[in-house]
Order: sequence, then C-alpha cells, then structure tokens
Amino acid sequence: MDNLDDPRLNYNYRTRERGTVPPDEKRDRFQWVSEVAYKNVHRIVARGYDTTELVEQGYGLTDMLFIDFQSRIPLIEEDQMLNYVMVVMLEDGLSSPAAIARTVASGKTILTQAAGSSILAFGHAYGAYQAFGRILDGILGRQAKGGKPLAEVVEAVVKEKLDDPALGISGLMLKDPAAKRMIARAEKLGVAGKYVALVKEMVTAAQRLSKEPVDIDLLGATGAVMFDLGFTPEAAWGILAVTRAFATGAHYCEEVEREAPVRLGQTLTPKEWYDGPEDRPVPTLEERKSVAKCMEAQTPEEWKQTFLERQKISGSGWAIVEEIDDPRRKI
Amino acid sequence: MDRQPFVKRKTAISYKTEEKTVVRGYDVSDLAEAGYTFYDMLFILFQNRIPAENEKDMLRYETGEFLEHSMSPSAASAIAVIGGRPNLPAAVSAAVMTFGSAHGPGAAHGYMMHKYIERARIEGKSLEEMGKILVDEYMDAGLAVMGMGQPQHLDGDPRAEPTHIKHEQLCSGVYLALQRSIEKHFNARRKKEGKAYVSVNMIGAGNTALAELGFSPNAAWCIGCVCRGFSCAAHATYTMKKGRAWAASKREPMVQMLDLSMIKYVGPPDREVPGQAERQEYARKQKEEGEYKKWTI
Repeated sequence: MDNLDDPRLNYNYRTRERGTVPPDEKRDRFQWVSEVAYKNVHRIVARGYDTTELVEQGYGLTDMLFIDFQSRIPLIEEDQMLNYVMVVMLEDGLSSPAAIARTVASGKTILTQAAGSSILAFGHAYGAYQAFGRILDGILGRQAKGGKPLAEVVEAVVKEKLDDPALGISGLMLKDPAAKRMIARAEKLGVAGKYVALVKEMVTAAQRLSKEPVDIDLLGATGAVMFDLGFTPEAAWGILAVTRAFATGAHYCEEVEREAPVRLGQTLTPKEWYDGPEDRPVPTLEERKSVAKCMEAQTPEEWKQTFLERQKISGSGWAIVEEIDDPRRKI
Repeated sequence: MDRQPFVKRKTAISYKTEEKTVVRGYDVSDLAEAGYTFYDMLFILFQNRIPAENEKDMLRYETGEFLEHSMSPSAASAIAVIGGRPNLPAAVSAAVMTFGSAHGPGAAHGYMMHKYIERARIEGKSLEEMGKILVDEYMDAGLAVMGMGQPQHLDGDPRAEPTHIKHEQLCSGVYLALQRSIEKHFNARRKKEGKAYVSVNMIGAGNTALAELGFSPNAAWCIGCVCRGFSCAAHATYTMKKGRAWAASKREPMVQMLDLSMIKYVGPPDREVPGQAERQEYARKQKEEGEYKKWTI
C-alpha cells in the first residue's frame, strides 16, 4: 500500500507521463557560455588574448590571473605585488590545508585528491576572503549611503565584529611583521588604495576597542591588498586558496614519503577523550517499543523545549546557529 | 587560542612560529621583500633551492600557459558544482580533483620517463634508441603512449610545440631528448601502419619541461593541475555571478545545461514496482534470469 492514490495529491500519479523530455526546439541549443575564455582546435583564448602568444611575450601565471579575473594586463607594480602576496601565502606550516592534504594522502590516494581537498579548508574563518570583503564593502557601503563619517562607521562595525575571525585583525601577528611589511610594500609600490586605507583605520579602531593587543593579520593584509589590486572578494578567495594548494602537494609528497598509509579501522580513539553517554546495553527490538519515544513537537513551545534539549547533544548540529539574511533588513 | 596543528608530523618543508613562517630555511616575508616571485617559491618548496633565472623563466612560461584551458573536465566540474551555490572553494576543489588518468596524467608520464632513462643508463643505450624502444613496447602491448594526442586540438595542442621550443632555448636536457625521440618514433610507426600524424600534447611537452627543471613526477603534476585551479575559480566565479543557479531555468533564452530535455535515457524501460508481498519471488526470478547483469556497472 502506498499514498499515491491519496486524494490530497493534486494530480493522478498513476497516469502521469513517462519517458524523457524531447529536445527543446523553441530555444537556442545548450552551449558553453563564457566571458572568460574559449578555445578552438588551434588556439586557447582568455579574455581575447591567445594564451600561447601571451607566454611567448613573457607574461606568466600572475599576469594570467589579472587577465582571467579582471580582463586586463596588470601594471608591472601590480604583478610584483601579486607575486609578493602569493610568495607569502604559499606555505603556512601544518595548518588546515596541509592537515587535510596529509589526511587524504594517508589513505593512499593520488596527489590531486589531496591538493584539491586542501582547498576546502578555506571557509569563513580560515582564509575568509569572501566574508572579509563583505565586511569592508559593507563599511564603505554604509558610509556612502548614510553619509556618516567613515571613522564612525568603522568604529561601529569593528566593535560588533571584534571577535569575528573574518575581521582581518587579531592577536595572531603581534610578533610576526609579515602582514605589516606587506602593507608597507603595497604603499611603496603605489598599489595601495581604499581597502588598505580602510583596514588601517579598522586596526586603529580595534586597538582602541580591544582589551587584548591586536593588529592586522595575514587575512587583513592579503585581503586588503588583493582588493586594491582589483580582485573581488570571491576572486581573492579562489586565488589564494589555490595558491596554498601548491604547497599542500609538497605535504602530500612528504606524507607519502615518510609515513605509512592508514588502513580502514586502524585509527583508535582513546576512551579518555570520550565524554558521551556511559556504555549501556543495546535494547532488543521488542524492548525498543518501550524505550524509544517520538520527539515531534506539536507546538512552538514544545519545539523550543526539544530544541534546547537537542542542543545538549554534542555532534547533533543543533548547537550551531548560523545567521541568515533577514528579509526585513534595510541595508 | 589553540595554535597547535591538527596533525603532529616531522616536516622538512616549513615551520611557523609567532615570529615568522620559514620554508626550507627561508623566511617567506624576507623572500617576498627581496623580490623573489611565486615561480621561485615553487622551486624552494619542492626542490629546496633557488632557481637560476632561465629556470624561473621556463616555469613562468609553463604556468602561464597551463592556467587557462577553457572547456575541459576541470572547468566543467567547477561550473557544475557552483550550480548548487556552495562556497566557491568547493567548486575549485572539485575542479582540481578531476585530474586523473585521462585529464592531465602528468605523474604517470614522469614515471615513464624515469623508467626509460634509467634503462638507457643501465643498458648502455642512447636516449634516441630508448625512445624507439619505449614506443615499440607500449604500442606492441596495445597501450597508449603517454604525452601524445589531445581530443580537442586535433592538429596539435597550440601550447605544446612552442613549449618544446622554449624548453630547448632555456633548459634542454635528457628529458627533452627522450621525449623528442618518443615523438619521432611514435609517428614513424604510425605512418608505417597507415595512421595519421599525432602531435605531442601538454603532458608530453609541459611535463617534460617540468621534469627537466627538477620537479618530481608528483611535484610536476601538482604544479600543472593546481595551476588550472586558478582558471576554474574564474569560471566558477563567472557562473556564480552571471549564470543561473541550478542551470535548469526555462526562462533563459538558451536551453540550460541541466534542462530536462538534455537527458537521453538508454537504460531498462519503465517497469512496475513490485509490492512487498511479491518482492521476494520477483527478486529471486530477476536474479536467476540474469538480465540485470547487462546493466550492472
């Protein structure tokens, strides 16, 4: 018995058409539509430039990034600055991308699996370029729309987001000068613009508002510089995640060279690390009827009770609360 | 804040302290300040050395041309993945992972070259001779000779031969000698068999140059494949910002990639779903008849 004859269905399921949908002759056929690149049998063309002609003229990978993402040839200073950013971003020790690549490598996989998966480490905390860009563009947008002094808007946003891992300002680089040197280099090369200026203003505000010492970090420096080079937050996110992936290839190689592969069932989890329910007997299927109870809530009040109960179950996901756009929000 | 790594490993690649990040002994910030480029960094990372100018130029050339290849499995996957509007890195990650035994099989080509260069050394043969031996052994066994042919660029990949020429100009060595011999004998044999000329592809040209530059098969593969990740990020970003999510809208003037009319089904015809009462007998009969094996994948 099934529910397909239920009168609440607003159609007769039994007589619905079978078979695939015929080709759509009324619209243009499907084609690969792109503003970025095309190729034919003889050429590969990115934003109008033949890529072989580009490299023959001495352009390289970093120039290609401006061409693919911005449809333009960069100034020499811009190319130098992008190289600077990518040199600093390539390797970050045993951080998340390297850890992922090594974990994937340990299953005896191929390099592209490991390097590819390392890119997944880039989210809204680690390498949070999209989120960081939204903060900066949000400040500039609010300032432009509301007409308030920039310092006032910066102060309000920084105060609200002081603990946000996407702020680009933290205690991570108080002793490491790399981020500040990058900003200084951007200014020296003449490529620093409104984003570098804004992030410096944000640092000043954060240092005034924070109880702990803070300064610009790697996200703040690389993000602001990439945006001033004309890359969108999404482009910066993609480019710098891929930049890091080159080095995870080296971590893949080293893991394979130095460590034994890990087999299914090999890894143990010490009981001392476990803080879930005590060991307990499995009920029989007969006992299940009395042991198991439904959790459906029938009223919002019941729902709230079960919601709070479920939040206590570590690993259930209920304790993770993500903000979604509020349609009532004006700005 | 916990700043300990997820994995505990001895590593000869890098270390990171509160003061600095050091790769193969060099402070990365100092490298950037001194004017070293991303191309130099790849040598330091994978080979523990600063490259000569000509080597750096060759890598700049190669990575520049590797980066964009328009419509290929990697870009297609990036576009397909971003259709669901996940975070951008998911699409880029998928794109890099498309590289396997058919799309950009760089590591395998490198290992093939190592094997035959080593045989040339042990057997006292020239690389020219060893190229012919390689071609004959692969073709006699019915195996594809790696580095030859490209399904889209039928009269020669536009990047490949220029790469060989640049390679000759900048850093010619044993790898190029063997590769050139492979190409010569491969096409000589095809001609003898009445088959058409097939050009070297970017594995044959690009990977040979990377090997000459001192990159191991896996390091070379990494450089080639991850490089493509950049353009796949561009294709995914373009689709995210200017394309239709889900890729199935009927409102678009052009049929979309995932329009229902794109499906051509060639599997078993529609059939009745057996009820649970008849299921066991139905399943037993189906298994005995074995017709299902025709469809098993």
